[in-house]
Amino acid sequence: MKTRIAAALLLLLIVGAAFAVWLSPVDYAFQDRDSIMGPSTARHWTGTDDLGRDRTIRLAAALLIGLAGSTIAAGITTMIAGAFGLAAAFSSRAVAGILMLLSDAFLSVPWLFLLMMARSLLPLTASPLQTAVTTFLVLAVLGWPACSRAIYRGASQLRSAEWMIQGRASGLKPMQLIRTHLLPHLHPLFLPQFLICVPAFLMAEANLGALGLGVGEPMPSWGGMLMELGNSALLARSNWVYLPIALLVLVLLLLETFAPESETNA
Amino acid sequence: MLLAAAGTILLVRFAPGFFSDDREMDSKYGLAARSEIQAENDRQRSISMIAVSELKGWLRGDFGESRQYHVPVAELIGPRIAISASLLVRGILLGWMLAICAAVPISALRKNQALWGSPFTLLLAIPAAAMATACILADAGGPVLALSLLIAAREFKFLRSLLEGAWRSSHLLHGRARGLSPRSLLFFHIVPNVAPQLLALTTLSIVTALGALVPIEVIFTVPGLGQLAWSAVMNRDLPVMVAISLLMAFAVGCAGMISARTATLEEA
Repeated sequence: MKTRIAAALLLLLIVGAAFAVWLSPVDYAFQDRDSIMGPSTARHWTGTDDLGRDRTIRLAAALLIGLAGSTIAAGITTMIAGAFGLAAAFSSRAVAGILMLLSDAFLSVPWLFLLMMARSLLPLTASPLQTAVTTFLVLAVLGWPACSRAIYRGASQLRSAEWMIQGRASGLKPMQLIRTHLLPHLHPLFLPQFLICVPAFLMAEANLGALGLGVGEPMPSWGGMLMELGNSALLARSNWVYLPIALLVLVLLLLETFAPESETNA
Repeated sequence: MLLAAAGTILLVRFAPGFFSDDREMDSKYGLAARSEIQAENDRQRSISMIAVSELKGWLRGDFGESRQYHVPVAELIGPRIAISASLLVRGILLGWMLAICAAVPISALRKNQALWGSPFTLLLAIPAAAMATACILADAGGPVLALSLLIAAREFKFLRSLLEGAWRSSHLLHGRARGLSPRSLLFFHIVPNVAPQLLALTTLSIVTALGALVPIEVIFTVPGLGQLAWSAVMNRDLPVMVAISLLMAFAVGCAGMISARTATLEEA
């Protein structure tokens, strides 16, 4: 019931944001120079930022970009983690040891620090779209180690399951075993990791953006919008500046309801 | 640690602009000097050369010179370790205190657990940078509070589920039936049973705190390792970045080893 309400609210937010972006006569980068740091008006429902850009449109676009980017990145991470975890679980102990050592090496450096480092070392001259793609790609590429550990543990149990032993004993080839017996059992292993990664990536993007290492301007992002909170002139003029953080917390809370309770490892 | 260092060197080696040297654009250097600088940079292009020279330096206790500040990295890092360590220790201790104070009574509740735990759920959904900014805007609390709230939110979630399981275990039911007080149940039956998991959680706390250190120190302008790391990352300062990633890997590795060792002793 809780997850259904969360899903409905999230869907409502996404549809609302999509309509806001679609129906808007101007795009998110349009600057209304007559309304710099403007209050809420009929033209700009939630006011404008320090460059005169409509906050509603930017917020709606940030929500769509953030959710789309995080979801795709979480999908890629789950696939990488799945490949590593399964390879480790179904190979010799030496290979499993090497693969898990690699995962431990990634885990030994705090994630945000690693992300920050990797993100900063990418090309200096990049378009906003390229920075967005790069940011989420970096998240996807660096997010796998914690997930791969969980998948490895689950897959190791599957490997020694009775039905697997029976399958091997009845002469099934490895590919047959994987296709007909293993793959249907992987769904409960992969889905929780994916669901954990989506809010984790959204939060990581917000943190990276707030440090100036996220999606480049003028493309809107949660991190970029959080930076507005550091503008005291803007804060003194309008309370709508707090809207992005409020909406981000709401979206993260909604996403957290899908994540399994005991497996927050991303 | 070696893998972390190798990864950092590899990343930095292929970073755009790594071989650019601001001296090449300085008019006080003549053509010959500039060619010499370029030749020196060319000699250092291979990954193995960079790795070997870095390794030799570390063995001598020399972490190189900061490209950004032109001072030895050890001099930059030394005073900042104390600042960051103090922030980490205070933040983790306060965070754990908050988490324990909330998790113990809430886990013992039979209903409305989610309602009482909702402040922590809310805190869990706030990014570190936003938490730090909120503390500054509210003019309430400093970096320690921001860090401790992040730690408390994360640890509360684990602690609550850990303690909830412990409260419902059969030996606890037996103890309750015998009329043992909640205090003796907690200290003599629950704590000894969950101690190994708590130690593992401490390691996780250190990793979480180290990750949150960067946005918190940058936003509160605390002159610690997190701020230095951010500055090094923004300015592509290889020696500082490698030294800090080694330090981070060392801290996490030590914490992991201590918790594993203590857990082994506990089990023995």
